[in-house]
Amino acid sequence: MSESVRKIIAAVVTIALAAIVVVGLVQGDKSDEDRARAIGSRVKCPVCQGVAIADSPSETARAMMDVVEERIADGWSDNQIIDYFSERYTDSIVIDPPFSGNTLMVWLLPILAVVAGVFMIFTRRKAPATKTSEVQQ
Amino acid sequence: MNATLGYLSVLVALVGALGITVRGFIAMRSPDRATASYLGLPVMALFGGAIAAMFFLELGLLTDDFSIKYIANNSSSTTPTLFKFASGWASLEGSIVLWGLVLASFTYAVYFRFFRSKDGDRLSAGALAIMGLVSLYFFGLMASISNPFAVCLQAWAGGVGCAEGAWGPIGDVISAPIDGVGANALLQNHWLMALHPPTLYVGYVGLTVPFAFAISALMVKATGVEWLARTRSWTLFAWMFLTGGIVLGGLWSYEVLGWGGYWAWDPVENASFMPWLVATAFLHSAVVQARRGMLQSWNFVLVITAFALTILGTFLTRSGVIVSVHSFSQSAIGPALLGFLLVVLLGSLGLFAARAQTIASSPRLDALNSREGVFLLNNLLLTVFAFMVLTGTLYPLFVEAFSDSTVGVGRPFFDRMAIPLSFLLLLAMGIGPIAPYRVASAAVVWERIRWPVRIALGATALAVLLGYRNPFLLLGVLTAVFVIGVISWNLYVTARTRSQKLGIGAGSATSRLMRGDPHYWGGQISHLGIAILALGIVFSSNLSETATISIDKGDTVNFAGFEVTYEQEFSRQEPGRFVTGADITVTKDGSIVGAYQPRLNQYSNNTSSIATPSVDTRFSGDLYLSLRSIDPATVVLEIFWFPFIWLIWVGGFLAAAAGVWAYTAKKPERSTTREPADV
Repeated sequence: MSESVRKIIAAVVTIALAAIVVVGLVQGDKSDEDRARAIGSRVKCPVCQGVAIADSPSETARAMMDVVEERIADGWSDNQIIDYFSERYTDSIVIDPPFSGNTLMVWLLPILAVVAGVFMIFTRRKAPATKTSEVQQ
Repeated sequence: MNATLGYLSVLVALVGALGITVRGFIAMRSPDRATASYLGLPVMALFGGAIAAMFFLELGLLTDDFSIKYIANNSSSTTPTLFKFASGWASLEGSIVLWGLVLASFTYAVYFRFFRSKDGDRLSAGALAIMGLVSLYFFGLMASISNPFAVCLQAWAGGVGCAEGAWGPIGDVISAPIDGVGANALLQNHWLMALHPPTLYVGYVGLTVPFAFAISALMVKATGVEWLARTRSWTLFAWMFLTGGIVLGGLWSYEVLGWGGYWAWDPVENASFMPWLVATAFLHSAVVQARRGMLQSWNFVLVITAFALTILGTFLTRSGVIVSVHSFSQSAIGPALLGFLLVVLLGSLGLFAARAQTIASSPRLDALNSREGVFLLNNLLLTVFAFMVLTGTLYPLFVEAFSDSTVGVGRPFFDRMAIPLSFLLLLAMGIGPIAPYRVASAAVVWERIRWPVRIALGATALAVLLGYRNPFLLLGVLTAVFVIGVISWNLYVTARTRSQKLGIGAGSATSRLMRGDPHYWGGQISHLGIAILALGIVFSSNLSETATISIDKGDTVNFAGFEVTYEQEFSRQEPGRFVTGADITVTKDGSIVGAYQPRLNQYSNNTSSIATPSVDTRFSGDLYLSLRSIDPATVVLEIFWFPFIWLIWVGGFLAAAAGVWAYTAKKPERSTTREPADV
C-alpha cells in the first residue's frame, strides 16, 4: 500500500469516528431519572446545611424528591417544579442562582475573569518589554 | 495537671515563635549573623513546645481528663480509643493545636536544611522569620481566645460535658464533669476521620513554606529564581498531601454520609479545593519560570494567593460565617482569623507592590502556540476555576450582608461552571506536555497526538455504537482517553527511539527515560491519575442506578440486575452507640454476590441516627446499600450501583502519590541530553 493511500485511509477512519461521536453528542437525551436528579440538585434541602435534596439522605429531602418524581410523571416542566418549591418555601431554597437580578453577578464575575485573563495574556505579550531593572542574583 | 503542662507548652512554643521572628529578621538584615545556630534555640522551643502541647492534649484525651473543657466536650469515657485520639483535632481548639504542630514541624524542617547548608543565607533566615510570625499568630490563638487547655469550671447538670470553662488552665472549679459528651457522631463513625484531617493539614500548612520564601525573597530583593528552586520540593510535598487529603475527604463522605456522593461543593470542601487549584497553577507556572524565566511576578501572586486562601478557608469553616453572616460574631475566632487574613493580604501585596520594580521583567512569549502558551492556558483555567469557586462560596454571604434578601448558590452553579473548565483542563493536559517550547507548529503537535486522537475517537465512537448518548459521558471519555493516550503514546515512542538509539531493551530504555527527568515524568503520572479520576467521575455520575426499595422480611426485590433479599434485622449495643441493621443477601442470576449489613447508628449525644452504608467494591462497580428505615417486618433501603467509581480513588491517590517519583527517582549515571521528554 502506498503512503498516500494509507494517509487517505487514516484520514477517512478518523473522520468517520469523529462523525459517530458528533452524532452521539447531538442525539444526547435525558431520562426521567436524570431529570429528577437534575431538578433535585437545584433545590436546597431545608433541614440540612447547604446540601441539595438530591444529595441528602434526610427524610425531608427524600420526601421532596418523591414530589419531584411525581410532578415529572404528571408532565410538569422543570421550571414549573422549581417555581412550585420556591413558592412553598422561599426563593433561597433554589440553589441554582438565576441569570438575573441579584444573582446575575455570580455568573458574570467568573466570565469577566476569563475575559480579563485572556486580555492580559494578549496585551502582555504584545507590549514592548518594559525597562528591565537589574536582575537580582 | 495536663492543662497546666499543656498550656505551659503553648507558652514555650509562643516564646520560641517570637524568638524566631526577631532573630530571623536580625539574621536577614545582617548576613554575617545569618547562621543557622543563631536561630537554633527558638526553633527548638517552638518545635518542642508544639509537640508537648499536642502530647498533653492527647494524654488528656486518652486518660479521660474531663477537667479540661475541650476534652469534656469532645470525648467521653466510652469513646473508642482511636476516636479519642482523633478528637485531638476534631474540634476548633484541637485543630489549631494540630495546625501549630504541623507548622512547627515545617519550621523545624526548613531550619534543618538551613543548618546543614552552613553558609549565612539571608533568604532562609527571612523565610524562617516569616514562619515564626505565622507561628506567633497561631500559638497566640492557642494561648488566648482558642485555648485547648482551658479547665472546666462548671459541668452541665448531670455532670456530662462542660458548660462553663475558665479562660486559662487554672480556675475555681464549681463542679467538674464526671464524663464527657463524646466525639462528634459523624466524625467517630469511620476510621478515615483519623486520617483525613491530618493529611489535609500537612498540605494546607505546607503552603506556608513557599509563601515564607516568597515574602523573604521580596524582602531581601532576591526575586530571581532562587526562592522558587528552594521551595519547589516543599510545594510539591504540600500539594501531594493536599491532593491526598481532598481525595480522602471524598472517600470519607462516600463511605459515611450514606447518599452515595463524594463531593457536594460544600463550603468546607471548597475551602480545601481553592488552595489546591492555586497551588496546582503554581506548580505549573514555576516550571515556566525555571525553564524560560517568565511569569516571575505571577508566581509571587500565586503563592501569596494560595496561602491567603488557606487562611480564608480556615476562616470560612471555623468562624460559623457560612451558616449565617450573623453567627460570625458569636466566636472570637472569626474576627481574629479575618484580621489575620487582612494582615497577610495587605502586608504581602503591599510588599509585592513596593518591590515590583526589582522583579526582572519577563522575556516575551515567542508564540502562544507553544508549551509556554499551554502553561498560560493552564494557569488561566486553574485561577479562573479558583475564582469561580471563591465567587460561588462567598456570594451568598455578601448578598446576605448587604441586603435583606438571601440567595442560594449551590451545586448546579458549580457544576455548570466546573464541567467546561474541567474539559478544557483535560485538553490542555493532553496537548501541553507534548508541545515544544518556544513555538509548536501544528504539524509537530498533530504528529504527536494523531494516534491518541484516533484512540480517543475510537473509544467514544464505541460508546455511541453501544447506545450511550449522554453528552457528559461521551465528552468525558473523549478527553480522558485522549490524555491517557497521549501520555502512553509519548512514553512508548520516546522509549522506543531511545531503545533503538542506545541498543538497549525496551524496559531499561523506559526506566532510563523516566528516571532521566523525574519531574516531567512524575507530572505525567500525576496527569494519568487525574484522567483516571475524571473517567471515574463520568462513569459513576452518568451511568449510576439508584432506587429506594422497600422489602418485607424474607422477600426479594430486583435492582439493576441484582436480586436483593431482606433476611432479618439485628441490633446491638456498642461503645457509645446503639446499632440497628438489616441482614441483606444479594444474588445475581441465582448465584450469591454477597451478604451485607447496612446499619443505622444511634449515638447518645446526637438525636438523629447516622448510617453506615454497606459498600461492596468489585471491578465493574460498587454496590452501595444505605439503610433508610427499619422495623422487623420491613426494611427501606437506598440502593445504588456506581460503575467503576473506584477509578476516582485510584486516580486521585495516583495523582497525589506521583510526586514521590519526582523525589525518589535516581537519575541514570550517564548524563543524558534532555531531549526526548522536553522536545
